[in-house]
Amino acid sequence: MTTTTRPTRRSVLTWTLGAVALGAGLTACGSGGAADQVPGQKSSAYDAIIKGAPVADTASVDANTWASAVKKQGFLKVGGTDSGPLFSIKDPTTGELTGFDAGLAQMLSRYITGKSDPQSLTRLTITTVDTRETLLQNHTVDAVFATYTITPARAKKVAFAGPYYESGDAIMVKADNTTIKGLADLAGKKVATETNSTAALALAKMAPDAKVQLFQEDAECVAAVQQGRVDAYVLDQGILISDASSNKAVKVVGQPFTKEPYGIGLPLDDPSAKQFVNAWLTKIFDDGSWAKLWKATIGTIVSGEAPTPPILGSAAGS
Amino acid sequence: MSAATVLFDAPGPRGRRRIALASAAAVLVIVAVIVLVVVQFGRHGQLAGDRWSPFVHTGYLRFLAGGVRGTLIATGVGALLSFPLGVLAALGRLSHNRLVSRLATAYVEVFRSLPLLLLIYAFLLALPRYGLNLPVFWKLVVPLVMVNVAVLAEVVRAGVNAVDRGQSEAGWSIGLTYGQTMRHVVLPQALRIVIPALITGLVSLLKDTTLGYVVSYPELMKTATNLTAFTHLLIQTYLIITVLYVLVNVLLSQLAHHLERRMRTAPRGGGQAAEQLEHETHAATTTAVR
Amino acid sequence: MNAVTDHLGDIFAGVLTTLELTVLGFVGALVLGIVLAVCRVSPVAPLRVVGSVYVEFFRNIPLLALLILFVFGLPDIGLTYSLFVCAAASLALSGAAFVCESMRSGINSIAFGQAEAARSIGLTFVQSLRFVILPQALRAMVQPIVNTFIGIALGSSLASAVGVAELTYQTQYLNLKYAAAVTFLVAGAIYLLIAFAGAMAGGWLERRVAIRR
Repeated sequence: MTTTTRPTRRSVLTWTLGAVALGAGLTACGSGGAADQVPGQKSSAYDAIIKGAPVADTASVDANTWASAVKKQGFLKVGGTDSGPLFSIKDPTTGELTGFDAGLAQMLSRYITGKSDPQSLTRLTITTVDTRETLLQNHTVDAVFATYTITPARAKKVAFAGPYYESGDAIMVKADNTTIKGLADLAGKKVATETNSTAALALAKMAPDAKVQLFQEDAECVAAVQQGRVDAYVLDQGILISDASSNKAVKVVGQPFTKEPYGIGLPLDDPSAKQFVNAWLTKIFDDGSWAKLWKATIGTIVSGEAPTPPILGSAAGS
Repeated sequence: MSAATVLFDAPGPRGRRRIALASAAAVLVIVAVIVLVVVQFGRHGQLAGDRWSPFVHTGYLRFLAGGVRGTLIATGVGALLSFPLGVLAALGRLSHNRLVSRLATAYVEVFRSLPLLLLIYAFLLALPRYGLNLPVFWKLVVPLVMVNVAVLAEVVRAGVNAVDRGQSEAGWSIGLTYGQTMRHVVLPQALRIVIPALITGLVSLLKDTTLGYVVSYPELMKTATNLTAFTHLLIQTYLIITVLYVLVNVLLSQLAHHLERRMRTAPRGGGQAAEQLEHETHAATTTAVR
Repeated sequence: MNAVTDHLGDIFAGVLTTLELTVLGFVGALVLGIVLAVCRVSPVAPLRVVGSVYVEFFRNIPLLALLILFVFGLPDIGLTYSLFVCAAASLALSGAAFVCESMRSGINSIAFGQAEAARSIGLTFVQSLRFVILPQALRAMVQPIVNTFIGIALGSSLASAVGVAELTYQTQYLNLKYAAAVTFLVAGAIYLLIAFAGAMAGGWLERRVAIRR
């Protein structure tokens, strides 16, 4: 009695085959496009810099409880992100993680393990502002490389090696905007920032009259500026410059209005970790590996020579 | 056949002409809308080849396929955990033990009424501070299961209620206990009845996994945010993953419809009963708009 | 607890936005859903196709994907609406597919004989719908449509992911600022209240339209 025809076994088979073909097609097709230039591809120098980074002598690793545990494990368990331009971003085409933070983590792992394939040196666990301390405390990760600002409050829960880089939050506006030049101009304006960023808190403190608009992702914040949904976007200067370099519709104005000394988060219950990582930082500051990595990552966007590395222990809490 | 199909006579010549006219007008409007959309895309340069060509690159396709895989894994594990627990919750709700039934009812009512996103945020942002810090995958799947158990329990309960009372009476009259009747007589029939609804539940489970991007679990939605961070091709990426979601879900629904129709040709319970049932299970599952 | 008591204003504003989104989304879904349901049973073939394609599509799109396309996708083709409008429209569009399905399956759940009887005593199409089918179908539709309402209320939480300052958004912002997990309990309780209020209103409606047999 039904007016619709019953599907035959064959039609279901066709659907199933369709599904299989779809899956197979997704993984297998398009092999002809090897010459395609994909936007955002990393520089080939990157791998060479990691492979050329120093390796510690066996004695100093074995003498250190934290480092010898990492060596035994064979890789470094890192807390960080995979979608942070310049600092730690995953290339969708290859699955490779590159960037300033990612590179430093790979270098540290190489220093301990002596291995040289950048991608197998570290295992990434994605962390957020709220989970970093806990993941270090319960030893889910060995170290956190995540544009992690050193603060005295955080230093009560985790140990900080470094600072290894100094940055700060800056302001992005639409390319044709001439009214917003600095922090003071944000009052009464709609200002976007990432949901789980320190910039959200910095804004609340330093520009209390700005109307904060939270989005999940960097790309969404940039789109919001470009599309006129918000007047400005506040986040780490390096990331904003990176965004602006690939997008002519937006620009970064003024100098950073916060000082963010980035540190490497380490477990507090094992003092050998901080001592070991600081010794390694001194080494890569001195032999130029740090500057080379800066040049291959942040330096591709920010012009000029690599800055002088910060002084270890110079930030309160480090 | 359904009630809707007997409500009007076969159209006469004038009726047919009117229908043809309306059809032509409708087709015109539809075509106009499609053209408008394409023109709008074209005017803003969104149809340019270089905005779409990256997506035929092997690496991107493999990356998207990885996202689909992550989505399917989260859906699969979510289903494997929530289906049996859902049956258990339904049985709990139907139990003659007052305490068990009240607890199960409370669970179902509460978790049917909480937004999944709020639960995920709780697992992501609040609970780690109290020492409960799950791996990323479980920060997605545990809340997913908690909510879907409640939804599925209602589906199963509708199924049990749809089984003819005579069935359980027959069970009791041959001396089976309540538990035995439920296990050997009612539940097997009820589960058979709700299979299509369970598969519809699978679709909503799959849609719910999109929230994985909040916890950075690499499913399709997170894949899309990674891709846009890299390529800045936002509208293209999201259109493509939307189509992928619809494709996978349509395949699942097709499977559901196939099972449903097979059920309808079962010896007992004709089309009418099946319609009634479809309606009841539908009523139980529509909560999942998410 | 201070995070809650000191910011009652923020939480209240969030609740208000959640309610506005829910009501607007639901009304939109109801209106569009009815139109689609009419399309699906109409004798005009292209409209039936539109109806079923729409339902297949919007039932299967994750709401989050729809929200992101609305908020960040549309401006790329020159259509910028406020975050709130985008969220309400997304909720209405996806809800409409469920309303349409509820209506169709409600009508289909009416005994076939009822329609035959109506036609055989000479009622026209409109009359049989008006006096025989719909009064019975309406009763069957209440439950799933109330569920759709609750679904839209819960779904509105996803609007927080695209920056609409509704209840979930305020909750996580307060949690970020004050590390106060208690806000989650408060928000959860408010959602429960909304859902239960919806269910109770639905129960009342169901009794109102009930047919005593």
